[in-house]
This record gives sequence, C-alpha cells and structure tokens, in this order.
Amino acid sequence: MPPLLKLTDVSKAFGGVRALRAVSFDLLPGEVHALVGENGAGKSTLIKIVTGAHRPDGGTLEIGGRLVTDHDPLAARGWGVAVVYQQPALFPDLTVAENIAIALEPPGPWRRVRWNARRARARELLACVGARIDPDADARTLTMPEQQLVEIAKAVGTDAKVVVMDEPTASLSDREVETLFRVVRDLTARGVGVVYVSHRLDELPRIADRVTALRDGELVGTRAVAETTRADLIRMMVGRELGAVFPKVEATPGRVVLEARNLACRAAGVSAVSLSVRAGEILGLAGLVGAGRTELAGVLFGLTPADAGEILLDGKPVRIGSPAAAVALGIAYVPEDRRRYGVILDLPVAANVTLAVLRRVSDRGFLNFRRERGLAEDFARTLGVKVPSVEEPAGTLSGGNQQKVALARWLATDPRVIILDEPTQGVDIGAKAEIHRLIGDLAAKGLAVVLISSELPEVLAMSDRIAVMHGGTVTGVLARSEATQERVLELALAKGVPA
Amino acid sequence: MATPPNTAGVRTSQPGVLLLVLLAEVAVFGLISRNFLTLGNAAEVSRLSVEIGLLAVALTPVIVGGGIDLSVGALLGLSAVAFGWLWRNQGLPVGVAAVLAVGVGALGGTLNGLFVARLRLPPLIVTLGSLSLFRGLAKGFTGGTETYTGFPAGFLAVGQGYFAGVPVQLPIFVAVAAGYWLFLHRTIYGRAVFAIGFSPEGARHAGIPVERRVFVLYLLSGLAASVAGVVYVAHLGQAKADAGTGYELAAITAVVLGGTSIFGGRGGIAGTVLGLLVIAVLDNGLLLADLPRELAGVLTGVLLLVTITIDRLRSRAAAPTLSHQTEGEFEMKNSQLAVLCVAILAAAGIVAASNWYLMSSLRPPAPKPVTIAMLPKSKGNPYFLACRRGADEAAAELGVELLWDGPDGTDPAGQNRIVEGWMTRGVDVICVAVENREGLSPVLRKARAKGIKVLTWDADAEPDARDLFVNQATPEGIGHGLMDTAARVMGGKGEFAIITGSLTASNLNEWRKHIEARLAEKYPDIKLVVTRPCDDQQKKALDETKAVLAAHPNVKLVMAVCSPAVPGAAEAVKQLGRGDVKVIGLGLPNENKPFVHAGVTDTVILWNTMDLGYLTIHAAKQVADGKLKPTASEVTAGRLGRKVIDKGNVLLGQPFAFTKENIDQFDF
Amino acid sequence: MLIVLAVATPGFFGSGNLRVLLVGFAPTLVAAVGMTFVIVARQIDISVGAQFAACAVVVALLVRVGWPLPLAALAAILTGAALGAINGLFVAHLRLPSIVVTLATFFVLKEGLRWWRQGELIRDLPAFQWFGLSQTAGVWVVVGIAGAVFAAAAGAARNLAAGRAVYATGSDEEAARLAGLRPNAVTFGVFAVAGALAGLAAVLEAVQLPFVDPKAGTGMEMRVIAAAVVGGAAVSGGRGTLVGTLLGVLLLGTIGSAIVFLRLEAQWEEAIQGGIILLAVASDVTARRNR
Repeated sequence: MPPLLKLTDVSKAFGGVRALRAVSFDLLPGEVHALVGENGAGKSTLIKIVTGAHRPDGGTLEIGGRLVTDHDPLAARGWGVAVVYQQPALFPDLTVAENIAIALEPPGPWRRVRWNARRARARELLACVGARIDPDADARTLTMPEQQLVEIAKAVGTDAKVVVMDEPTASLSDREVETLFRVVRDLTARGVGVVYVSHRLDELPRIADRVTALRDGELVGTRAVAETTRADLIRMMVGRELGAVFPKVEATPGRVVLEARNLACRAAGVSAVSLSVRAGEILGLAGLVGAGRTELAGVLFGLTPADAGEILLDGKPVRIGSPAAAVALGIAYVPEDRRRYGVILDLPVAANVTLAVLRRVSDRGFLNFRRERGLAEDFARTLGVKVPSVEEPAGTLSGGNQQKVALARWLATDPRVIILDEPTQGVDIGAKAEIHRLIGDLAAKGLAVVLISSELPEVLAMSDRIAVMHGGTVTGVLARSEATQERVLELALAKGVPA
Repeated sequence: MATPPNTAGVRTSQPGVLLLVLLAEVAVFGLISRNFLTLGNAAEVSRLSVEIGLLAVALTPVIVGGGIDLSVGALLGLSAVAFGWLWRNQGLPVGVAAVLAVGVGALGGTLNGLFVARLRLPPLIVTLGSLSLFRGLAKGFTGGTETYTGFPAGFLAVGQGYFAGVPVQLPIFVAVAAGYWLFLHRTIYGRAVFAIGFSPEGARHAGIPVERRVFVLYLLSGLAASVAGVVYVAHLGQAKADAGTGYELAAITAVVLGGTSIFGGRGGIAGTVLGLLVIAVLDNGLLLADLPRELAGVLTGVLLLVTITIDRLRSRAAAPTLSHQTEGEFEMKNSQLAVLCVAILAAAGIVAASNWYLMSSLRPPAPKPVTIAMLPKSKGNPYFLACRRGADEAAAELGVELLWDGPDGTDPAGQNRIVEGWMTRGVDVICVAVENREGLSPVLRKARAKGIKVLTWDADAEPDARDLFVNQATPEGIGHGLMDTAARVMGGKGEFAIITGSLTASNLNEWRKHIEARLAEKYPDIKLVVTRPCDDQQKKALDETKAVLAAHPNVKLVMAVCSPAVPGAAEAVKQLGRGDVKVIGLGLPNENKPFVHAGVTDTVILWNTMDLGYLTIHAAKQVADGKLKPTASEVTAGRLGRKVIDKGNVLLGQPFAFTKENIDQFDF
Repeated sequence: MLIVLAVATPGFFGSGNLRVLLVGFAPTLVAAVGMTFVIVARQIDISVGAQFAACAVVVALLVRVGWPLPLAALAAILTGAALGAINGLFVAHLRLPSIVVTLATFFVLKEGLRWWRQGELIRDLPAFQWFGLSQTAGVWVVVGIAGAVFAAAAGAARNLAAGRAVYATGSDEEAARLAGLRPNAVTFGVFAVAGALAGLAAVLEAVQLPFVDPKAGTGMEMRVIAAAVVGGAAVSGGRGTLVGTLLGVLLLGTIGSAIVFLRLEAQWEEAIQGGIILLAVASDVTARRNR
C-alpha cells in the first residue's frame, strides 16, 4: 500500500535557527502515527509543513504518492489534508455552523452561501463527534473543550485522507477523550491516516500504531507502538532516562493561611466553595476541564471578585476586589494561559519579573534600573532560566523558561499563598521535572501552594491534600493517603455527590 | 542612575531613520531656503509647534498604552473658550481662569477615561464621539460667534514674548515634555503603561490596576489639551470655538512618525519630539523656500509611509524568528517590497529635485526686485483665487516678485506661521487679509519694526499694525447692502433664512451682525427664521437649504453669505421647484451666472475681487518705494486710475450688484 | 435604540422631505457601505474623504474635456479603486497599521489635490447634472444606484463567500489564513472596494450640482466611520451589518434636518451628534455584555 503522506529529508530554518534537519516521515492508510518530542523538537514545524502553513527549505513532500510543490493551506485542503490545531483556530464572531462550513466548502469567492445546508451539515458532524453544541451559537461563547470538539468536527467533515491532530486532548475531559478516540478509530477504519501529536504518552498505546520521535529538529526514530515502552519513549525524546518525574519533598504543614467559606461568584460560575490551605502545604485542585478550578483561582485572586461568602487570610476576613488587592495581601497566581496572561511576551525578561513588584525596584515611583536588573538576574539564576540576558524579550524563550519567568514574577512578590494553574502544561519533560522540584521547594519554605493540574498523576504525586471540583464547587477533599485516581475521578464526575 | 536597559520593549523605537530625515531636511533647506539656518528661525519653528507639541507629547503615553485620543484638538478649543468666558464674562483674574480652564480639560479627560477604562469601550470611537461633543459644546456655548479677546499684555507675553532669548512657551513645552518623559520612561506608572500596551490582560494578571492607569492616561491627555488651549490663547490673543481644529491628526502624525506603535507597547517621548521637529522643520523650510505649503502635507504623508515601511522591513530583517506566521509570504514579497520602497523614495526625490530646480531657475536675478508677499485668509477659496489673478496682473505690470501663500482654512493660527516665515525669509512688503485681528496684529507690528512694510486688504488689523488698509467695503456696507437687497426682493415683508459658511468665521459673523442690526432697525415686517452653516461646502449648502425650505415653508428668500453657499442654495431652490423663493448672496459672478439667468438667484453682491488684488499690489509697490505714505489722500493704481485714501483706508469703491443685466460682463 | 429620533417631528417624513433626504444621503450611504466592509475586516480608512474629493475632480475634469458621463464615472470609480488599492497594498502586503497608512494617504491626497486644483470649482460641465436627465429622473437614478449598491453589498455580505471571508478575516486573521481564506487578498480587496465606492459616491454627489467642488468630502471619513459604528460595526472586527450602517447614516444624517424642524439653534448640532455617538456605542456594548 503506498503511503498517504511521505516526507523525505525535509529541512526548515527560521532566520538561521534550524527547526528541522533532514527529517523523513510517512503515514499509511488506516494508521495512527504518533509524533512525540519535547517542546521545540520540531513537531509543530513538521505539521505546518504538511498543512502548507510553512514551506520547507529542502527535501520533498508527497501526498497520495504525488510530489507537492507550491504548498499552502488552501492547496492542502485540495490534497485531502485536514488539521486540528492545538489552539482552536475558530472565528469568534462567526457561528459554529459557519466555522465548520468555511473548512468544508470549496474555495471560490463568488460562491453563494446556503445557510440551511450549512446548519444541517454542522448538526450532523457535531453529533458525530458527540458534541451537543448549537450550530447557531457564536464561537466566542464556547468553552475551550467545546471549541476543540468543533475543530475535530471540522476535520471529520472534510473527507480528508490525512488528518493531523496537534495535542487534541490537551483541554478535553476523559469522557471527551473517549469520544475522540472513537472518532479516530472510525476514521482509520475508513482508511484515513491520522498524524497524532501528544504530550500524554499514556494515551499512545491506546490509540497509535506507530510512533516517531523528534529531538532538536532531528529524527530520532520510528517504532511500532506495541513494541515500545514508556521508558523507551522518554529516552527517545530526551536522550536520557529520567528518574522520578514527580519528586515530592516531604514538608510539615503549619497553620491555615488561606481559607474560603461558602465562596461564590456568579460571573465565574463558582458557588459554595469551602476549602483551606496551610503554610508549607501543597493543596492539589483536581477536576475535569470546566469544573471551575481556574475560575475559583480567579475569584481568590480578585480577577472576578466574589459576590458571596468569605475569604479569610490568617483567620481574618479580607475582601479581594482586584488582582492588585490580592497582590497586596500576599496572594500570587501563575495563570494557565501563559502566553496570554502569564508573561508579556514583548517585554524583556527583567521587566516581566519585576512587573508585580515595581515599587520594590523604584524610589518614590522612579525606577531604579540597576536594582531591577539585579533582582531579575537573581531570580533567573535561582530558577535556572536559560536566557543570554535578562533584557531579551520573554517571547524569545522556550515554554518552560517562560513558565519560570512567570513563576519568578510571583516569587518576587514574596507571597504567602501561591496558586499555580497548570504550571507544566505544554512544557517539555526536562523542564517539567525542574518545575516540580521548585514547587516542592516553595512548600518547604513555608508557602501555601495551590496546584491546579489536569494531569492526575501529577496532582496525586505532588499534593499533600487534594480538593476535587465539579460544576463550580468542591465535591470533596482527600488526604494524600486516601487519594487514588479512582477516588478523585469519582468526585470529579460527581458520582453520588449531589450537584 | 544606571543606564536604562536597551531592550526591545521599553526602549523608544529606533529614531535613526528620523534623525537622518531631519538632517537631510536641514541640509536641503539650508541650501534652498532663505535665512533658514538662523537662530531667530529656530526659535520661531519651536514657538509654532508648541500647541501641537503639547498634544503630541500627551498622546504618546495614550498610544503606547494601546489607546488613542482623537478629542484633544476639540478639547483644546473647549478649554480655550472656557478660559475666555471665565476671564471676560465672569471677571476672574487670568490666573484663576487659566486654572479653571485646565479643570475643564480634566473633566473632558475624565469623560474619555470613564468611557474607555470603566466601560471598556473602544477608544477610537469614544474619542471620535467626544471630539464631536467637545467641539459642539464649544460652539454651542459661544453660539460659534463669540470671540474672547483683549487679554492683558502680561498674559499674552506667555504666547508672544521672549524669555532669555527663546519664545516663552518653549520652556513650558520643554518642562511638560520632560515631565512626560520621566513619567513614561522612568516611573513604575510608565512601565505599567508599556505592559498594558502590549497586553492589558497580562498586565491585569500581574496585579496592575489597569483601569486606573488607563483612566489616568486620558485624564493627563485632557489636562495637556487644556494647557495647550491656554497657551494657544496667549499665542493668538483670542479664544474661539474653532481653536485647534484638526490638531489631533497633526499630533497623531508626529507621534507615529516618532516611532510609537499604534498597536501599543512601543514608542517614547523622544521619538515624538523628533517627529514633531521633522514636521515643523519641513513646514518652515518649505515656507522659507517659497514652495507651496501643500507640499508639506504631501511630504508629511510620504514620510509617514516611508518611515513605517522602513521600520517594518528592518524589524523583519532583525527578528525573523518572531514572524514565523507570515514568513512564507514575506519571502515571496521581499523583492516587491524593495521595489516599492525604491519607487516611493525615487518619487519623493524627483518631487524634491524638480522643485529645487524650479526654485533655482526662478531665483531672482540681480538687481533684486521688490518682493511682495500676499496672504489670503485661506487658500483654495475661489474668492481669493480671483484676488490672486488681479495681483498677478499687477505684479507683471510692475515687475515685482509676488509670493502668494495662505493657510489651509481650518487653523486660525495658520496665518501667524506664514507671516513669521516671511519675516525670517526677508520680504519688502507683506499684504494680509487678516483672519484674526488680535492674534495677528502683534506679529505684524514685529514685522514693521523690522522695516517690512505691512498692508492689509480685505479685512483689517489693528490700525497701528499696518501702513495702509486696502478696503473693498466695510462690513456695515455689506450687511446693509445685503439686507436692503433682501427687503427689495421680498417687498418689505415675509420670512427669510441665512446660509452661512461656518458659525465660527469672524468676517461672516461680522456681516451677519450688521445684517441683523439693519433688519431690526428698518424692516419690522421681515423675519429671520433660521441661520444654518454649510461648512463652506456647496453640497452641504444644498442639503441645508432643502431642509430649511421644508421646515419653514413660508420662507421667501435665502440669503447666502459665503461664496460656496450661493450656488448651493440656488440649486436647492431650483431642485425643489420653488419659484416663489429667491436667493441673494455674496459670491463670484461665474459660479452664479446660470442661476441668475434662470431667475433663481436675484442678485449677487460683491466688489470686483480681481481689482482688489490688483489695487493692493499697486499700493504695496508704491509704499515699498516710499512714494506712498499712510497720510496720503489718493493713489494712482494702473488701469484703475485714482483711488481715494481716507484715514489710511484705500477705498476700492462700492460693492457691486450683479444681476441678470450685467453679470455676463464679468469673468471671475 | 436606533429609531429614537424623528418621531417627535410631525411632517418630518411628510411631503417631499423624505425624497430630499434620500437623495442627500445616497453618497454618504455608498461611502459608508465601503467603510463598513473595511471596519468588519478590522481595518480603518481615514483617507475615504480625500479619495472622494479626488474622484469628484476626476469625473468633472473628464466630462469637461468631452468624455461621456458614464465613461467618466467609470474612470472615477476606477480611480477610487486604484487609490484604495494603494492603501490595500501597504496594509495587506507590508502589514502596516491601516490607521497610519490611511492617515498618510489622506494627507498626500488632500494636500496634493489642493495644490493641483487650488480649490477652484470646476464649471462648464455639459450634460452633467442629473446625468443630463430631468431632475426627477436624475434623483431616482441616484437613489436607485445607491439602493442597488446597498442591496448588492448587503446580499454579498450575508450570502456570498467573499462577503463571509471579510467577516472571517476580521474575526481572526490567523484562523482565516489557516482556513485557506487568503486574508491578504481580503484586506486588499476591502480597501479597493472602499475606494471604488468612494469614487461612486463622489459621482453620485457631483451630479447633484452644476459645479464640482474639489473640497467636497471634507470630514466625510469621520461621518461614515461614525455611521458604521453607531450602526453596530465593531472596530475590533468581525461584527457589523449593512442594515445597521444604513440606520447609522439615517440617524446621523437626520440630526441636522431634525434640528431645523425642531427649531433648535444650529450651534448645538455637533454636540448632539457627539452625544448620540457616545450613547449609541455605550448602550450597544452594555447591551451585548448583559446578554
């Protein structure tokens, strides 16, 4: 059987930085071919070459046995290539039906738009991926997982021969992941080939047939998944074997620092939340995506101030009406969407680090650049941020280093409580371990840490206690000793818990 | 203090290109312009840029913070009017009035700030609306007609005097600019502004009170606008509702030319000041080279395009890794871009070179003839174009060099700029159709002190600021003439309406005043029902007249007091088929011939405009030669023969009524 | 929200006033249609008034040298399209901010035009006014053309793939690129179309008068931007309808007439206009937020 897709010795450079070096890759009909590698290994570049978003500098691309030149996103559609990007690329102001239609309808600007046909097709495809979404809703009103499902519906609808999925499960709940796997199997049964990029190595044995690993833009190898262990994969990706991925430093929790009583915020969809976190303790916050964890963090940090209930700091009730108020009280929040909220990509690393403590690097309102630089360099050293100079824009750093900069900003505020929202999402494995070590250190130094993570093993390994959320409220708090994957999932799915 | 980190985000955008442009300007104008490279000129260049400079400096942090404020020019006008009202009508001391006027600016800024920061509305639209609102309030409260003048000399010195050899407002500007520079580049607030400009949500997540910071930016911009308003009043000696019209675009141009990104996050005060200088020097240099002022606008536009294009190309070349997304297209378009840029630069070069060539070929041969500079109220107005034809005729007869230039019609400060330029350039006579008596007179006095002869024409300055006034007709004569004609056409009773140019034009308001006085005095059975402005546009006059006639069906006559309004109003009457309505007005014969013949327009009143220009040049030449003294009682002016001079007024003669019978004899 | 006005003035819609208003609105509406596309595509065009003036001069000069009016009108529209295309080239292909580019072309056009024409009215135009037809017929031709352009544009915006591509590009340019929509072409296209419509608007206005004023169109950019925005077009792109723009044009355009009918002083017109813009934007956004 000829491969659906064949890349031979493909290279690509961006302004002197080699993103891909002579990489070859192929995809057979009816197979799921996984693509793994650390951040910056070249997976995204490879995908974008297949989808026509980038042009290769060297090497050849064949689709369906024919050589492709002069490739672009529109041509890719013509070749039967569909793609589900990691960040949903929907048009926020257009309806779901139109979003799907734009991907499916033939090109040509002078075509007439048939709205009823669009709607019907959208309904059908959404049902196919198990999403209950109104096709007439504006895409801006959808949640992240819903958007992801619309993206998948688009890919399914194109009748593509090659479907590329870039981290499709990153924001999906387990149930949605199951639906996705079913969709993928349906596709492969029809002879479609799927390129599947994922950081979740555990998924691969369940879904993939072959796996290709990239490292630093170079091909490490392609194996059959059935013959590859998790350890093999990690070794292929990082080139060395990692010991414990989640080191846990034992710490003795002190007294309660932050406590929430019956906290509610209608705008954030959070209601009747009661929990507490002690000094030196890591409180894991588990739950499915959409359970209200990030929203709860937003309430505690003053982004969406509470409209009922109490927040107590050191036993004293406080009002947190804005992030500035939260900062003043010693609460820090490292947000989930790092590139949008966590760091300001165009500002230098130094300015990012000091942004929450401008008063500390200034005299009566006037910036002291020497002190600012000193502070930033201190933190860069302590946290191991790899950057030639703290005056480089943060946007030039890798994801893991950006996360460290975000962390540095909040550590600089000398917080009592730090809320970490998905601190290791989209971070490569090496940086992940380092961030875990840092979190452990923080707790050891007496900070109260709230850790939000969708990776259950991470929460279980890192936390002293785990609060589980569902539907905007806390459905249960488990001690480390009683917490198992099953128990957490039960609470997260709210089985037997009145909603 | 340690040097600021030279980093992508906080630095001011590369001013290198702009500095080169500035140097090139200085070099070119040093060659082709007269007296360009003098200290006095440098001082004047700076004086004239202060008001726009204040606005531009205050706009810089707003734009760096990702916003925009289009309302600054209108707020300048509102503050100026408030200042004048508080001082004159409320009898407050100048200082107190100035402080309160700045309070008005703070209120205006607060309004913008509330809408943008609190309600999170798009600043472009909010300030577009408040631009209209502020300007409208200024016009509403003054009726558009009120002009506050007669400010004490001590106050006027702020705008017209010198302090240690530099214009007084320059230190004010330098202080404000320095304050803003410190604020934006050296304080934690400024840092917050940069963060907000790059990412408002990111800044909020960093605990920065975004709303409050953004609010303060608009408040500061309102404050600066009102300070500029007070300086403006001191500079021009008058406060009127149209002060600062169009300044917002000039200020934004300076900011953007200075390298501040309209998307926010990048830029700085130093760049803005540089951008301001580039524009001011261009304007001044062209004036001194006697090149058309329109060229300044054209070149400013071209410069803006060229600098941002170069900046874009350089940033792409320097940081290709940051533009992954578009890199594919970029590779394709690279050569096209280069071609395009070369083409633009070449075009600009050709324009400059051809003008230079033109200049050198027109350089006066020795012996140097008398140079007469003639200043209309505005350029691009058919009335003044007719004057110019007469002036050109006289200049050819007498062999004098005639410079003709005028402001673009929106900015009352424009005339000052041109007269200052001519003084620096060195001319023998300046002839001015004065738009703004109180504002221009001090400058004219200064010209006389330098030995330049000054004549006024069309509209007078203060008598001691000029040698002679070539008087075509008194406002009283025009007002009475129009009203008497109207009464004749209407048969002494009924309703009529006035279409005027703009509610703020001072000569039109003067005429309207006399029309209304005459009406009250002599025609009790005639009623003026409505007065509408047409913004000096024919089409608007057409629409306004239609609306007036629909709303007031009893109107029997439309009186159009500015020249574009006469054919516009006549066309409206014709389109509506209202044979019972007649039009009269002040206008040029050529534009009105078809309507006069069709019987729609009864009478057009005007003096012979060409003769006005012709007479002015003849008088100017004789004054320059020392043959004509202000005390003379008559003058002989070429084909016009003898004209009477009465108390320094050279009289052209009575206004002329163009009717069906005689209009074909005239061609202007 | 948009139907607030005019009810209070009896006779406002009566008599021939409506037709008078319609023919007066036609040019502004046509230019505002172009601006709506530009704003929906998340751009802005400050130069539209200057383009308008340039096109008016072009059509008049060509008629004066003896071109037949339809041909001259076509030339004016093409001139507008070309001027718009220059903006489009800078914005789409050099990726420069449209507000700066069009500010620059505004200066160049406006000043260049004044330099060239010196503000003189263009006279002696044979068979020009009302396309050489009778006044009644001419009025209907003008209103008809504007109506047809509006209907075509509204239809295209809603039901033509190219129209939807404008919305998609304005909503998220990168997503549009990934969806194969060629946002560069869309951006270029909206500027060219806006220019062409400015040209058409200039023709529709020029034929209402016996002379052509090279200062026509002064301040038009602010009027049409305000009309589009009051009509609900979002400057953040992706949202806005042509029906809304029509209402915006009518609302802002009738303020002047309404003041005459309500016998208010002319001097307050601008303040009222500013107040309405602010109110409209504030209420629109507040309404959307509460939904």
